[in-house]
Amino acid sequence: MNIGHILWLALIVSPGSAAAADPFATGAVNSGFTLNGFGTLGFARSDNDQAQYVRDLSQPYGLTTNGTAKVDSVLGLQAAYRFDNKLDGMLQAISRYRYDGSYRPEISWAFLHYSPDPDLNLRVGRLGTEFYMSADSRLVGYANLTVRPPPDYFGPLIFSYLDGFDVDLARPVANGLLRGKLFAGYSPESSPFVGNITWDLSGTLLAGGYLDYQTGPWQIRLGHVQARFNKELPLDALVPGIIEAAPELSVSDKWARFDSLGVVYDPGPFQFQAMFSQTRHDSATYEDTRAGYAIASYRIGKATPYLGYSRTLSKANRFAPTSPPLAAQIASATHSDQYTWFLGGRWDIRKDLDLKAQVDWVRGSPSSIFPFRGDPVVWDGRMTVFSLTLDFVF
Amino acid sequence: MLPRPLLLLLAALLLSPLAQADPGLVLVVNARSGVDRLTLDDAVNIFMGRYRQLPSGLAALPIDQPENQPEKARFYRLLVHKDLAEINAYWARLIFSGKTSPPHQAKSSAEILDLLARQPGAIAYLERSQVDSRFRIVLELER
Repeated sequence: MNIGHILWLALIVSPGSAAAADPFATGAVNSGFTLNGFGTLGFARSDNDQAQYVRDLSQPYGLTTNGTAKVDSVLGLQAAYRFDNKLDGMLQAISRYRYDGSYRPEISWAFLHYSPDPDLNLRVGRLGTEFYMSADSRLVGYANLTVRPPPDYFGPLIFSYLDGFDVDLARPVANGLLRGKLFAGYSPESSPFVGNITWDLSGTLLAGGYLDYQTGPWQIRLGHVQARFNKELPLDALVPGIIEAAPELSVSDKWARFDSLGVVYDPGPFQFQAMFSQTRHDSATYEDTRAGYAIASYRIGKATPYLGYSRTLSKANRFAPTSPPLAAQIASATHSDQYTWFLGGRWDIRKDLDLKAQVDWVRGSPSSIFPFRGDPVVWDGRMTVFSLTLDFVF
Repeated sequence: MLPRPLLLLLAALLLSPLAQADPGLVLVVNARSGVDRLTLDDAVNIFMGRYRQLPSGLAALPIDQPENQPEKARFYRLLVHKDLAEINAYWARLIFSGKTSPPHQAKSSAEILDLLARQPGAIAYLERSQVDSRFRIVLELER
C-alpha cells in the first residue's frame, strides 16, 4: 500500500506529467504521461430473499429483492508513464464494494514494465491475477460484453491481484501467434468469510501460467494456477476448536489447483466465447468444482444482444467416520450445483459509454449455497436477477 | 421496358453508392523499413497490439487516423470486421490490465505522413492517392 502511494505521487509530480513529451526525442511515439479511468454504475435486484446474489465471493453481502448498486458499481483511475520505448510504469486505484463492506480505495495495479523486445514483456509489482482468460480485466465493465463475468464461473475467484512478477513471451507460429505467460507472487488481499468475519489471505502464494494461441478469429488458451493458502480460515471463530478436531479442514499450507480452457471465436458481428475450469483443493473444507460457461452474441449496429449459459458443480468431500459431524457440515457450505441462463443486451451509446440490461435465471439444487451470501438454509435454488449497468471509460 | 443502355446506366447509378461505401485502403510503411509485404495476420497483430515486430526485425509503430476521419472506422471494418465501439472496448481491456497501448492516435493526416517519413518502423493506413515515393504499400485492404 505504502509503496503504491509513493509510486502514485512519483508519477503525478514527475516532470513528464505535462503530457507534452516530444515523441521524436525518445524515439517512441507513445511516450509520456497518460491518465485514464473506468467505471460502472450498476443496479440489480432479484426475486429471492433467502440467498444473497453476489458478483463474486469477495463481496460480504449481496442483493435480494431490495435492489442495490453495490454489487456491480466500481470506479477506477489509472496513471501510466512511459519512460522510453522499453520501460513504462502503471498505477491503478479502484473503489468498489470490498470484503469489509467499505468502498475504501485500493491499489489494484502498480508495476514497472520492461520490454527489451517487442515479443518479451516483464512486469514487477502489483499485478492483476490472470487466473482465467479476461480475469485481470473483469472489473472493467466497458471492456466486457455482459453485465458481469458469469458468477457460476468467476464467483469463487477471490483474488484480484498479487504482489510479484510476470513474464510474457510471444512468437508467430504458422499463421497465428503463440503466447506463453508465467506469473508468481503473494496475495495482499482479504476475503469475507461469514458475516463480518474476514479471512486474511496475505502470504498466500499464487503461481501459474498459460499457453495461448491466436489465429484469425480464433483464440484458445490453456491455463494452470496454484494457490497455497497461508493463514487458516477463521473456522475457529464459528466453531472453537474445530480445526484441531478435524485437521483435514485446515487450509494453511494447503494447495488449490485451477485448470482452465478458454475458447473465443470472433469473426465479426457474431462472437462466441466459452470457458471450462476444474478446481481441486487439498483441504477438505473446499469441495472440488467443475464450472463452465458459453456466451454467443451478434452485433446489430450499436446494439449487441447476447445469450449465455453457465454451470457449476462440486463434489462432496468424504470425511473419516471419526471426524466430527460438523466437519462435513462445514464443507457442505462450499457446495455448488446450479446452472444459469442469461439474456441481455449491450448498447454502445457513445464511443466511451455503454448501457447494458440483463436477466439471469439461476436454477440449482437447494444444496447449492456456496455461490451466495447470507445463510440460505431454506432456499429452493431458484432465482431471477435483473441488472442494469452503465459503463464508461475516459 | 426501358432500353438496355438506360437500364445499365440506372443499375450503375444505383450500385455506385454501394461500391463507394467501403473503398479499399492501403497499408504503408517507410520505404527504408526493409519490408516489402505484410500478410493480413501481420497487420492484425500490429494494429491490435498482439505482436509489434516487422518481418525485418524493426519494432512496428502503428499509427491511427484521426478519430473523426472515416478512414479509421473503415480500416477496422476491413481488418477485423469491428466497429470503433468494439475496438475501444478491446483497448479498454488491454489498457486497464496494463498490457499493450493502442496505436499512436494521429491528430491530422499531415502528422501521419510526417511520422511515416521520419520513423523507419512507422506503419499506417492511407488512401491510395496519398501514397508517394517515400512510402511503400505492403498490403491492400479491400472489401
